[in-house]
Amino acid sequence: MSGHDSKYFSTTKKGEIPELKEELNSQYKDKRKDAVKKVIAAMTVGKDVSSLFTDVVNCMQTENLELKKLVYLYLINYAKSQPDLAILAVNTFVKDSQDPNPLIRALAVRTMGCIRVDKITEYLCDPLQRCLKDDDPYVRKTAAICVAKLYDINAELVEDRGFLEALKDLISDNNPMVVANAVAALAEIQDSSARPIFEITSHTLTKLLTALNECTEWGQVFILDSLSRYKATDARDAENIVERITPRLQHANCAVVLSAVKIILLQMELITSTDVVRNLCKKMAPPLVTLLSAEPEIQYVALRNINLIVQKRPTILAHEIKVFFCKYNDPIYVKMEKLEIMIKLASDRNIDQVLLEFKEYATEVDVDFVRKAVRAIGRCAIKLERAAERCISVLLELIKIKVNYVVQEAIIVIKDIFRRYPNTYESIIATLCESLDTLDEPEAKASMIWIIGEYAERIDNADELLESFLDTFPEEPALVQLQLLTATVKLFLKKPTEGPQQMIQAVLNNATVETDNPDLRDRAYIYWRLLSTDPEAAKDVVLAEKPVISDDSNQLDSSLLDELLANISTLSSVYHKPPEAFVSRVKAAPRADDEEFADAGETGYSESPSQGVDGASPSSSTGTSSNVPVKQPAAAAPAVPAPIPDLLGDLMGLDNALVPVDEPTASSGPPLPVVLPPTTGQGLQISAQLVRRDGQIYYDISFENGTQSVLDGFMIQFNKNTFGLAAGGPLQVPPLQPGASSRTLLAMVFSQNVSPGAPNLLLQVAVKNNQQPVWYFSDKGSLHVFFGEDGKMERTSFLEAWKSLPDDNEFSKEYPNSVISSIDATIEHLAASNVFFIAKRRNANMDVLYLSAKIPRGIPFLIELTAAVGAPGAKCAVKTPNREFVPLFFEAMESLIK
Amino acid sequence: MISQFFVLSQRGDHIVFRDYRGEVPKGSAEIFFRKVKFWNEDEAEEAPPVFNIDGVNYVHVKVAGLFFVVTTMVNISPSLLLELLQRIARVTKDYLGVLNEDSLRKNFILVYELLDEVIDFGYPQTTSTEALKSYIFNEPIMVDAGRLPPLGPAAMFMQGTKRMPGTAVTKSVVANEPGGKKREEIFVDIIEKISVTFSSSGYILTSEIDGTIQMKSYLSGNPEIRLALNEDLGIGKNSSSTHDYRSSSGGGSVVLDDCNFHESVQLDSFDIDRTLHLIPPDGEFPVMNYRMTQEFKPPFRVTALIEEAGPSRAEVLLKIRADFPANVTANTITVQMPVPSYTMRASFELEAGAVGQTTDFKEGTRRLEWNLKKIVGGSEHTLRAKLTFSQETHGNLTKEAGPVNMNFTIPMYNASKLQVRYLQIAKKSKTYNPYRWVRYVTQANSYVARL
Repeated sequence: MSGHDSKYFSTTKKGEIPELKEELNSQYKDKRKDAVKKVIAAMTVGKDVSSLFTDVVNCMQTENLELKKLVYLYLINYAKSQPDLAILAVNTFVKDSQDPNPLIRALAVRTMGCIRVDKITEYLCDPLQRCLKDDDPYVRKTAAICVAKLYDINAELVEDRGFLEALKDLISDNNPMVVANAVAALAEIQDSSARPIFEITSHTLTKLLTALNECTEWGQVFILDSLSRYKATDARDAENIVERITPRLQHANCAVVLSAVKIILLQMELITSTDVVRNLCKKMAPPLVTLLSAEPEIQYVALRNINLIVQKRPTILAHEIKVFFCKYNDPIYVKMEKLEIMIKLASDRNIDQVLLEFKEYATEVDVDFVRKAVRAIGRCAIKLERAAERCISVLLELIKIKVNYVVQEAIIVIKDIFRRYPNTYESIIATLCESLDTLDEPEAKASMIWIIGEYAERIDNADELLESFLDTFPEEPALVQLQLLTATVKLFLKKPTEGPQQMIQAVLNNATVETDNPDLRDRAYIYWRLLSTDPEAAKDVVLAEKPVISDDSNQLDSSLLDELLANISTLSSVYHKPPEAFVSRVKAAPRADDEEFADAGETGYSESPSQGVDGASPSSSTGTSSNVPVKQPAAAAPAVPAPIPDLLGDLMGLDNALVPVDEPTASSGPPLPVVLPPTTGQGLQISAQLVRRDGQIYYDISFENGTQSVLDGFMIQFNKNTFGLAAGGPLQVPPLQPGASSRTLLAMVFSQNVSPGAPNLLLQVAVKNNQQPVWYFSDKGSLHVFFGEDGKMERTSFLEAWKSLPDDNEFSKEYPNSVISSIDATIEHLAASNVFFIAKRRNANMDVLYLSAKIPRGIPFLIELTAAVGAPGAKCAVKTPNREFVPLFFEAMESLIK
Repeated sequence: MISQFFVLSQRGDHIVFRDYRGEVPKGSAEIFFRKVKFWNEDEAEEAPPVFNIDGVNYVHVKVAGLFFVVTTMVNISPSLLLELLQRIARVTKDYLGVLNEDSLRKNFILVYELLDEVIDFGYPQTTSTEALKSYIFNEPIMVDAGRLPPLGPAAMFMQGTKRMPGTAVTKSVVANEPGGKKREEIFVDIIEKISVTFSSSGYILTSEIDGTIQMKSYLSGNPEIRLALNEDLGIGKNSSSTHDYRSSSGGGSVVLDDCNFHESVQLDSFDIDRTLHLIPPDGEFPVMNYRMTQEFKPPFRVTALIEEAGPSRAEVLLKIRADFPANVTANTITVQMPVPSYTMRASFELEAGAVGQTTDFKEGTRRLEWNLKKIVGGSEHTLRAKLTFSQETHGNLTKEAGPVNMNFTIPMYNASKLQVRYLQIAKKSKTYNPYRWVRYVTQANSYVARL
């Protein structure tokens, strides 16, 4: 061919269409070919050349393949808009499908399948039938794909004409390319059909595994992806499949490698031999790492997948953290993903190396990357208790550089570190306060304000600091306003002096009358009412114990993770979203996940008043981990259950009907703490406490009727709680005359009604009688009530248990004010509370006691108590498999050795 | 399966557009371009290669300054799509010789013909230049490659090395040369990209080599080829080190962490004598990719110092030493160093008698840039710079400047010591003696020295 194709783009002076028409009907072949090229050129730049349809179709009957292909290209484009004219081409198509040249036969079926015109489709069936059984593999592989095309246009036709069976026969074809296309076509048809069409039996499995070795890299991906649907019958079957798949890991095509990894991961679930699993993990590591040597685009996909894989099987890449260190020239989207994985792989062993990297990244140029690096340091602090101090010192170093966004980001993560390790690192608050003036981002401001409010009692000038924010209150974003409101309330409750009182009034005024934001207004009103009716209750609510936060770097919940892992190497595993969330064509019913995703991008920052607890930042703040506009479902899961609204639901639940009051049981003892003051209970006062007597937990409860009428019909109900504590029988309170009181012991039992989330000792109670509305109150027990009589351990088993627990599970706490005056008395006193003595030794002038205790669900505590007799200060170290109970335990110990 | 494939220019013009399934709403190319262009304009961030807008998934790569894009409506393997896009670019380049906007436009009919064979109804069929030859009838129209940025790793051979036939890499696999006869020749390129991070005290924190043995064959009749590598080549970090004693070179054996091979490679005897057997298909393809983290001698030692010199001034000293033999010369060396954001001016002082060296202070990105045309093995070069700041320093200069980043190309040098011992071509006749080019080159990937 001569000349440049681009000349076809040039326009002529004369009317273009008539001129082309003339050339298309030229008697010279070459001229006609050139004309068709011009038409196609016009078509690709978007010009309408459909009026030339007849003239172009006239050129179709040619032996010249080049010209034929051009005409076909034109037909595909315009047949839809000219269906009546398209029929003119049918005869040639049918004739071509029987041409001696296999290329022409294939071309005819391929093109007919692309013309989505019913009249043409009817004529397609016979040629297709022939071509599916053609001698030439090129024709057969084209026909196989054509069946999928036809199914998309007219599924019934495909089934009626038996094309599905023909397609299934092609799985046994001797040409691997044909097999691959047949598999691809069947997989697509299966995807759009609810009926089982393409099931992989052990028979097809063998055929597919054989074809796998011979077909092209693309065919290998089709086959591997179809094989991933196969459910192995047992461990041996799974091992056999994996053995056949493993060589694919050596393939240069990353898609083949990832598809092979998917199958291996799926089959590994069935394999029982730990040796085999370990071996497979070892084999997968190098190819996964090699994916990071590919183009950055592929690295990105690989990293998103590896992110999932390390959540499920961290061992595979545990020793490869170095390969995830960011390179200078990595695109930002690759760097961001590498950071995520570095956090996931960070451990006590490599944290020094990792921190060194993060520190370096935190001084780079790209702002987003720097921020993420700073956050990563904070997340490592939260994840690795032993490294927390080192992380904090790196953060302080970074703050000293005084780069504005670094400082702000550091403050945000330090707030989370304070939440994670209360009463440990507050000494750095002074350093943070130095940067107060430079804060201009809402989240950083809000974090700093939270810190000030939370530690108001330790910051001498907390009131001044908060006041400095108040002037601009109306202009602040909602996030900052909400924090200011809560912090001021905290300050007031902690230091109820004149200054804070004025501040609180100003803030409440601003947050109720002056604002349009309903969230702010509602919260302000709740605080207002709390403070005006019962400041003590306000303290209980606002200054309540906060649930422990944990690291969110393994943030996907396990069911979503498993679903995503089953989708390794697909778009789903890149978005970290289930396929239904972004694909409309799947047959599975769409899930209502969208609402869950709705505010996932936000960091879990704002305090929700409905939670009734100071739930600032229920989980540590998360940066969106990628640049993909994917909302992360995990972040949306509320970390704290909202108990109070639940209570009503439970109360009125059918199977948990209120227990009617029966015969009274008298009880006496020391006065009980008031849980419902008469001001709240319209004259009724309730005092109560959880106690343990003779191995049984009771709710010691007393009622005082301060009303003018008789109260009767008392009933009680407990909301879900950490231990599943519930009433063991009916509440027995006699009708109460005005002025009378009654006290009773209500035996408690452990039910299955356990509340999820971090353990706490909050007991939410509802009490009702026939005269008054339902009263709700919450009570907080001490963990020692739950210490069981069976908590005593033998010396040897204590030692073994101590050794078998990893050091990560050891925690310690100082009680600077506790004085132990006598060892024996202490042992006796602790034993009375079911903390059992095991051994003691002397270390210098200190006595070291070893003790054990046990709480329900068989959770043991191994205790080492160190103190000098007579001198203030005791140290308690504890090891337990359930570390989340540790803060509660320390609290209980404090009350026991007071 | 793929819904559409298109190629857009940097300005967003359609160069190629092919719809395979007619299921994606109109305007997808514009939606894509707008998204990529304005991904995060403030931060000048690049869009990730995979994203979803309104239910349409867009997957793209950037090759030779062009966007190669596919769209899909279903949950398929994005790595398949990315590999395919790269492969389409390579096949197109094999056919056109040069891949750029101009060559694509001039050959649009050939490109559409290729696309119809490469993808059918959204399913990749074949991307082997060799296999495609029997189905493609259009002939390529050559464009002038001279003034256009070339594509692919082999392009680096075009710079400064007169021994190489410069046209070879931009020659179409199918087009006949003037005179109608093709020259029988084969290129085997060992291309290594090295990444090294030096700590502030000069220790090597991480080092890695990503290598490829790239082959481009213009041999007629596709004869079998034997490619022999180091006999004592080890694979896998835990492979035995017994080879060390046998090694004749004295430098210890080469141990690769991992490697993979092109599907045409027969590995039957690879475990025994480290020889690859293959019948090379036409076109350019990687015979073998490998990765090595074994210790190796970095070709350059980089030292950088920044010191305060008064309240709002600082001095920078950059030193590079070429740790390779004197008969090897590195070329197009760039050393870049970010300096504090409040740097106003920089004045440079090159060493005495410096030739072919330029310096620059890039105000926009606040970087010092030092370019050297070439560096001979064993030599050492220094650059001094004086910085003037608009404010006083925080006393944290080392944290606000750096790290130093270096770019270079070293022809006829490879850091891993992986060698092609011989390249044997099955002889068709006694007079058959095609040209064989075995070329080594080392390039910086991420070559960084921290302050």
